[in-house]
Amino acid sequence: MATNNELIRVVDVVKEYNKGEVKALNGCSLTVNRGEVVAIVGSSGSGKSTMLRCLNMLEVPTSGHIYFDGVDLADKNVDINLHRRKMGMVFQHFNLFPHKTVMQNIMLAPVHLKLKTKAEARAKGEELLKRIGLLEKANEYPNMLSGGQKQRIAIVRALAMEPEVMLFDEPTSALDPEMVNEVLDLMRDLAKAGMTMVVVTHEMGFAREVADRVIFMDGGQILESNTPEKLFDHPQNPRLKDFLSKVL
Amino acid sequence: MNFAVIGQNIVKLWLKYWDKFLITGMEYTLSLAALTVFFGAIIGSMIALMRMSKIPPLRWIAAVYTELIRGTPMLLQLYLFYFALPQLIPFLNRKQYLCVAIALICNSAAYVSEIIRSGIQAVDIGQTEAARSLGMSKSLTMTEIILPQAVKNILPALCNEFIMITKDTSLASTFFIGDLMTQVLLVKGATYLTFEPLVIAAAIYFVVTFILSKLVALLERRMRRGDIR
Repeated sequence: MATNNELIRVVDVVKEYNKGEVKALNGCSLTVNRGEVVAIVGSSGSGKSTMLRCLNMLEVPTSGHIYFDGVDLADKNVDINLHRRKMGMVFQHFNLFPHKTVMQNIMLAPVHLKLKTKAEARAKGEELLKRIGLLEKANEYPNMLSGGQKQRIAIVRALAMEPEVMLFDEPTSALDPEMVNEVLDLMRDLAKAGMTMVVVTHEMGFAREVADRVIFMDGGQILESNTPEKLFDHPQNPRLKDFLSKVL
Repeated sequence: MNFAVIGQNIVKLWLKYWDKFLITGMEYTLSLAALTVFFGAIIGSMIALMRMSKIPPLRWIAAVYTELIRGTPMLLQLYLFYFALPQLIPFLNRKQYLCVAIALICNSAAYVSEIIRSGIQAVDIGQTEAARSLGMSKSLTMTEIILPQAVKNILPALCNEFIMITKDTSLASTFFIGDLMTQVLLVKGATYLTFEPLVIAAAIYFVVTFILSKLVALLERRMRRGDIR
């Protein structure tokens, strides 16, 4: 593992709630290399979403370090907004802006943060929408779209920032079953195109097929981290075995 | 009680004094309500911002203010302001209307601040997270994402506050400032009729607030349109 290839390095992150009564993360460390697809699996309440949200400081860790491109995001003097631009995030509930059209949703951040002119942002938005086959929805409002379309547009909105990594927080959990695949297909394409991705998911088939590495979390700790073949076919940790027996 | 006589008296009073009720009275009542809600909204916004501020002392001041105003009767506040303000600010001496208006504004600001705060906090936290995860600053998130959505929660409630205030201005008649209730007292004094002017005023208050609340309902429907998620 070449260190210059490293994009994210998490060191000993602890996240406590209610002054230490609840420990969501209990000393987690991991690295994500450029171009790598990492899937995080585990039962609900295992801390996997908290882990992901710590990566872009939506949750501020109680202690520990999160290095993104060598910069410690947990350092209070770091302007987190500058780094978040390079980290796209996709949420379980899409979180599209309901008062803006699809195109406005996509253009908003790049234009307001002065990364692109309006014309450039529109061109980029059209290109991305064309890629997912939703160009004709550009001027519609999110409430006119199906769940799968919403999530794909949420992904495109993040891509419009041209991020270095995409974080997915259970992107298919709120979708009707028949819409799961259109979202997974898009994510698969992204992975093939070389995008660095961290995906919290319950889709074991997807994790096995697309991920380079799968991380199993339980009780706020990373219990196993391995290639999908080894992790799914030859689990070592008893709790992972138990988890897999329930979900597979 | 002789209903026939009362009915005749009401008609007579209405024909003779309708302009006092409908023009003079409503002019004061509605202008006072509009003034109150307008400045109440401005000051209320500031208090709401203070209440959501990161700086604890600002939060405390706003909280104490809101709780004090909401925890004491409005009539008492009117008395306090009416008698204390001219002593504190000589300019307000003998300016009863202004004193009452300031009292109403201070009262309304507390309620409006809660309307605004809850309207902002009712916007799904996911909206903030999505905006912040795109690298947008706190203030940009507020102006571009949160406020445009919060307005949908706030505006109808603010209009309802206007309706409430329209009725609450009747308390201002305690100081004879010319509103609809003051006209009732004046007509009562001129005619020695107690019951009839009250019925007329009640009818006017009802019609006005009924129309206003129907308008608010319409506004609410319009704002909801295309917002089903």
